[in-house]
Amino acid sequence: MEAAAAPALSHALVARFADIVGAAHCISRPEQLRTYECDALTSFRARPGLVVLPASTEEVVAVVKLAREAGLPIVPRGSGTGLSGGAMPVPGGVLLGLSRMKRVLEIDLENQWMRVEPGVINLEISKRLAPQGYYYAPDPSSQQVCTIGGNVAENSGGAHCLKYGFTTNHVLGARVVLGDGSIVDLGGPVLDAPGYDLRGAFVGSEGTLGVVTEVVLRILRKPEATRTFFATFPSTDEAGHAVSLIIAAGIVPAAIEMMDRLAIVAIKAATGVDWPDVGAALLMDVDGTAAEVEHTAAEATRLSQEAGAIEIRVPRDAAERETMWRGRKSAFAAVGRISPNYVVQDGVIPRSEIAKVLREIERIGRDTGLRIANVFHAGDGNLHPLVLYDRAVPGQEELAERAAGDILKICVRAGGSITGEHGVGADKAMYMGEMFSEDDLATMNLVRCAFDPDAIMNPGKVFPTPRLCGDRPGKYVAHPTETAGLAGRG
Amino acid sequence: MPAQSRPGTADDAIRGVQPKFVYSPSTVEECAEVMALGARDKLRLGFAGGRTEIGLGAPPSGLDAVVATERLGRIVEYTPSDMVLIAEAGTPLARIQATARAEGQMLAIDPPEPERATIGGIVATGGFGPRRARYGTIRDLIIGVTLVRADGTVAHGGGKVVKNVAGFDLPKVACGSLGTLGLIATASFRLHPLPEASATARLAGLTAAQVVATVDAMRRAQLEPTSVEAIRGAGGAYDLGVRFEGFGKGVSQQMVRLGDLARGVLPDEAFWRAPARAPFRARVASLPSRLPAVDALVEPILAALGAGATFSWYATLGLGSIAGPVADEAALAAAVGLARSALVDSGGSLVVHSSPVALDPWGPLPQAFRLMAELKKRFDPDGRLNPGRFVGGL
Repeated sequence: MEAAAAPALSHALVARFADIVGAAHCISRPEQLRTYECDALTSFRARPGLVVLPASTEEVVAVVKLAREAGLPIVPRGSGTGLSGGAMPVPGGVLLGLSRMKRVLEIDLENQWMRVEPGVINLEISKRLAPQGYYYAPDPSSQQVCTIGGNVAENSGGAHCLKYGFTTNHVLGARVVLGDGSIVDLGGPVLDAPGYDLRGAFVGSEGTLGVVTEVVLRILRKPEATRTFFATFPSTDEAGHAVSLIIAAGIVPAAIEMMDRLAIVAIKAATGVDWPDVGAALLMDVDGTAAEVEHTAAEATRLSQEAGAIEIRVPRDAAERETMWRGRKSAFAAVGRISPNYVVQDGVIPRSEIAKVLREIERIGRDTGLRIANVFHAGDGNLHPLVLYDRAVPGQEELAERAAGDILKICVRAGGSITGEHGVGADKAMYMGEMFSEDDLATMNLVRCAFDPDAIMNPGKVFPTPRLCGDRPGKYVAHPTETAGLAGRG
Repeated sequence: MPAQSRPGTADDAIRGVQPKFVYSPSTVEECAEVMALGARDKLRLGFAGGRTEIGLGAPPSGLDAVVATERLGRIVEYTPSDMVLIAEAGTPLARIQATARAEGQMLAIDPPEPERATIGGIVATGGFGPRRARYGTIRDLIIGVTLVRADGTVAHGGGKVVKNVAGFDLPKVACGSLGTLGLIATASFRLHPLPEASATARLAGLTAAQVVATVDAMRRAQLEPTSVEAIRGAGGAYDLGVRFEGFGKGVSQQMVRLGDLARGVLPDEAFWRAPARAPFRARVASLPSRLPAVDALVEPILAALGAGATFSWYATLGLGSIAGPVADEAALAAAVGLARSALVDSGGSLVVHSSPVALDPWGPLPQAFRLMAELKKRFDPDGRLNPGRFVGGL
């Protein structure tokens, strides 16, 4: 999906942005802009008018004010690892990259928080805290590359959010630059600041409410013990049954990940892990105090066997454990080894619906003739079906997109969600109507209007149609571009 | 009439302001009708659940009617295998817990008075109890909300799956909003397994600094208590209660290890007593390590409250509760003012939840107040929902 090109910005205007951030951090040459045309959802592309890379909150304020004066929309961007096109530029607009703002500003281990700039890489935080025995819990699979600012925008999850929660549960506060250039502080290291939970509204708002320039994170003491094991099953039915038994036994695993046959084949091809050819596998962590873990690991092992596990492997050491997890976390990229192209989906279903929904996904695969690999966070029903296709085959890309869309509709019908952690972005905006009514969306829009009444922050994302913010909010009002036939309704 | 209604009485008053009518809708549709009626007749509306936190906030600047959730007491959906429960706003917490308990589960929140406190009220006021140390607060457990807006529009946010980032997080916006953005009609929550075992240890006679040191030692030792509360005794020394929950072996091992860490550790299952309902109640928030400074600020407040005053502190969270009768009104106002300004200066807060004396409940405006006011204006443009009660008169 390629957006129409926009006229180039005037040299004078580019020079004013360059004055703010320095010429080296203001990118406007077409060949350089190409790098920024998309995030990790590479099928959605648009050429920004320019890319600015500010180094401080003050520079962000100046950039926002100038963009506003020039009538240019702003799209914030971290590392560009997002999978929903949330950081896809608006054609001709300003792409505001936060990768230079990567300082750790403050660490308070005693009170378990730290303050960082948004460009800090997720994994770097836990690495930095490791010598003291602390870590930052949310661990999206892209954690070696993705930034905290991007995590805040997307409310990123990860394998271990089953027990520990999502980004929103670990962000205590944020400093945000709004679309009018004002700076607001939401929350902070001390809990329960009086007033609305604007921090809760901001986290996961996908860059549509403002630009985050500082984040206060909750940090956790490492658990005393972690046990990992890898169990193989004849099919996803038995593996799913094992998950149900474990959860019903009152165990909250730190993570419980399922992979089906095709995903296992891909991961083996890409990483060289010596996993057997089986119908399904579970990779699971239990953690906590030593005695607790001894109990939960034994119990989960026993229940996996009861559910029909073929084999249960326990890593010999930390290195082997890491290899197992690297296998799982590289699953998306691995699928690239067995297929020229693929669509990553991110649906959520109630855990009790897993077996049924997997059968429906299988049926979609049969009907379309496309291969579909499944990796998912089994504990919380977050499915990542990977629909494999070959762009070189005429019509196959459209077929794959449609299959992926059908999977989302199945998830919603099962009582779930169109996205568990990748965000709505540009990719799934058209599916919002499957999950939410017009009144629901209009109500969410009230939040956006409070933060960004002129809709200059990441316009065109999350909502299926452009929306105005009247002085008096009321029922849905069509945007002029829509009535003029320039914008469709998803 | 869209819902049952009756004339308001003194028992329906909110902070001393008596409503003319009380509406008791029994379905979400009736909620929408009542709210639409309110919009048509420009009624200033308050909301009431179990009234356990009805004293929170400033007196409303006017109150034509109260919408009571007493007939919205159903558990709408509960699928034990998904560990998700949806309840109407007026459902008492105890009813939710009894339902979940039958399946070996719980809603991991434990504010006072669960028989009276309704789930809608807990969401609206951000209620919590000692287990917050492990499970977080209601904002960490809520996964969906049905909000009936000032104009009667019924809006849903979130859903009924634990993991979900579709759209803006309206459930979190509802948390702690004190009925100023809309009527919370239903809400959905993630549940947790009921722990197999629970044990509490008490360490008696600690100074504030020793409380901080003990919490520090537990964290270093990688103990994982689910509740840690320090209760200040009349002489100024603290009794520290530490609860471990989980599978039996893990709980008993942690009790033994706590005994190795500190002297005078005694088992005390009776430590967790429901706080007495007192005329004056306030919460203080600071960083956990600042307890010694907080203690010094709280002491004059306790002195002004007089005999029967209590102070308890969730030592891993940095949240404290002050309660008691009021012996010296002038001294109380002065002590609250001093404590508040010192707490706010260091990033904290003091919120008065109930007071027989006229006191500013919220304190100075938050830095983001302008944005909060903007949010309020968008949701309630006529300022009719709990008018004047929230932070900064919102």
